[in-house]
Amino acid sequence: MELSRNQKLATEWVNEYANMLYQYVIKRVKDNHIAKDLVQDTLLSAWKNIENYTGEASVKTWLFTILKNKIIDHYRKSSNRITEELSNTETEQAIFFDSADHWHKKAFPMDWGTRTQHSIETKEFYLILTKCKNKLKEIQAAVFNLKYMEDLSSKEICKELNITESNYWVLIHRAKIQLRYCLESNWILK
Amino acid sequence: MGINCKTAVDFVSKKEEGKLTIVQRYQLWYHLAICYLCKRFYQQNNIIIKGIKHHAKSTTNKQLNKEEKDIIINVLKDNC
Repeated sequence: MELSRNQKLATEWVNEYANMLYQYVIKRVKDNHIAKDLVQDTLLSAWKNIENYTGEASVKTWLFTILKNKIIDHYRKSSNRITEELSNTETEQAIFFDSADHWHKKAFPMDWGTRTQHSIETKEFYLILTKCKNKLKEIQAAVFNLKYMEDLSSKEICKELNITESNYWVLIHRAKIQLRYCLESNWILK
Repeated sequence: MGINCKTAVDFVSKKEEGKLTIVQRYQLWYHLAICYLCKRFYQQNNIIIKGIKHHAKSTTNKQLNKEEKDIIINVLKDNC
């Protein structure tokens, strides 16, 4: 009897919350398979710990708390490769800045005109934004997402990802330059 | 003392978090007043952040299909 009730509850949970969790995570990780795995891990983790659920927060809030921790765990794995990621800094920066550290002629920020005023809330913008965000290195995207999608401070991000503050500023600097350039090339100039 | 464009771009991010000293704030302000490229970067950066924040809160119609949901249901059932 107990088993059959639990099995019914499992179905209800998945039908009620899986899409909500998936829609949240898909904007925050590059890979669709990883997004699905994180949804499954979240539900399974909650399921296994259901006895610890106090009912103080709603099931939805509880699941989202678990999911956010899973996403940060996923980001943290990418920070293990930070030395490798940062080793290319000079080469990549040379694309954007000349030897005097002024904008390289090929990378001059263009005039975006008035196009952006009403179009940043459109589906087209989101598609290109996602495409450009997916071009960032994992650790750059992690830092960028935590900063601008999760509203964490640099101090919190450094702590979560176990990176130094100077590495954080390098990563956010590069992420912004590359994202702006990609948006300009794929959205403004098209 | 003047700053170059690379430093100005770096200061734009630090300014968002109030991490600039008074001198650095002045250096950035002065650089943005004389460098139209960095001024563009600064303005476009604000547009991108606004777009990202809106994107974070927006809804999408992406959904798991029945088969994908069934897999999760079975995983949970196996752990009953």
